Amino acid sequence: MENKIKSVFSILDAPQPHMVGDGFRVSNFFPGGYKIKMSPFFLLDYNAKVLLPPTDELRGVGVHPHRGFETVTIAYHGAVAHHDSAGNSGIIYPGDVQWMTAAGGILHKEYHEKEFSAKGGPFQMVQLWVNLPAKDKMSKPKYQAIEHKDLAIAELTDNGGEVEIIAGTYNGVTGPATTFTPLHVYNAKIKAGKSAVFNFPAAYNTGFLVIEGEISINGQENAGASQFIYFKNDGEEISVEAKEDSLILVLSGEPIQEPIAQYGPFLMNNQQEIKQAISDYNEGKFGYLE
Amino acid sequence: MPFINQFKAYLQQKIALTDEQFELISGGITVKTFAKNQVILSPGETSIKTYFVVEGLMRSYSMDSKGKIHIIQFAPEHWLLSERNSFFNQPSDFYIDTTEPVTALVIPRNFFMEASVHVPCIQDLNITMLNNSIRFMQKRINMLLSATAEERYLDFIKLYPNLTLRVPQWMIASYLGITPESLSRVRKDLAHKHFNK
Repeated sequence: MENKIKSVFSILDAPQPHMVGDGFRVSNFFPGGYKIKMSPFFLLDYNAKVLLPPTDELRGVGVHPHRGFETVTIAYHGAVAHHDSAGNSGIIYPGDVQWMTAAGGILHKEYHEKEFSAKGGPFQMVQLWVNLPAKDKMSKPKYQAIEHKDLAIAELTDNGGEVEIIAGTYNGVTGPATTFTPLHVYNAKIKAGKSAVFNFPAAYNTGFLVIEGEISINGQENAGASQFIYFKNDGEEISVEAKEDSLILVLSGEPIQEPIAQYGPFLMNNQQEIKQAISDYNEGKFGYLE
Repeated sequence: MPFINQFKAYLQQKIALTDEQFELISGGITVKTFAKNQVILSPGETSIKTYFVVEGLMRSYSMDSKGKIHIIQFAPEHWLLSERNSFFNQPSDFYIDTTEPVTALVIPRNFFMEASVHVPCIQDLNITMLNNSIRFMQKRINMLLSATAEERYLDFIKLYPNLTLRVPQWMIASYLGITPESLSRVRKDLAHKHFNK
């Protein structure tokens, strides 16, 4: 049986950017910018490419807590240093992915890496929040530092480029990140004039963010850099043709059918759990980070 | 829900007040929005307005001769904030400004007095609220004179649970009358006591 086309619901322009801390100028596509159903993905912040002048100042976001979900940082240009209260630290370089499971609670901070700041240069990042099912919200925090060289690669046919699989599977190739619910995150690099086909179950919430280039989707609609293509839950197959060399962040996942309660950096199932998270944070139960 | 209904609900939690009675007494209340970091009142000025915060965060503070800020009060959602020298036609000693974008209801000076003509129990509520405010300030003076930094912080997080997520540490330290370093130490000690427990 032939797969039915997963059709485009809408093509969304990047919302007006806002600052996160003093280091990240991001467009929040959801949940703030557009009220779209993207569960298990709860939030998408996109720092479109900017050229940063050299600086000695430390720019970024100071110590803050998270509970109940995972943060996924995908670096395209620039470098971000981070530290957390579990003792992890590292630098996310272009092409790298940091998949941090905050789960039961963690404090962390993220700054432009010192050497990068001193030199300046292009800066381009994505941060995703991936929700956790209730049963895993209070699990132990963990941290997957995925370097670019460790991403799984699926070559496209006809020398069309490649799909870097961060999490999930593409054409039988599985990415390195482990997840709590079924989902797929790829960077698809498609050469001008070439194409790629993606297949996800109809029920999976799916969206593509065009990082670079211009593409045509299902032979019908075009989208360019910094646009987000939000798909309907009406079919499985998406075909993409690149009008120029293009890079697309592909997100698709099985929705988590549970109630959501969010306050600031906490993502839980009800208000009582939010109150508990605030109180635990205030009382030092997330640990300490300078 | 129209913003003004939040004030109605606030009063209805405290006294028996019908929607019709509220309609009768609320004519002078207006809605105002302020940008983040907007100074609403400065020392030397007078303002007889009381603000009921619908959304956002306001604060009142003084600034000493070295330019250091001392925060008197935070007013997050459903708190009332006013400067009381002005009620005696004297210039303010304090600043009032916004720490976040704010939507507030502006309640005129004579609200309680005029409202009590129509709804007599409003007068009792006014006295209760003033007494409560005095009680709160007595406790605050006592904490500032006698409590340890940790006791002050533990009291603060009970009073204003989510402000630790909304304002920088130095503002909390300023409110508590301790240095930011002391506040860091308190939080570090608490983490050592409670982390992974």
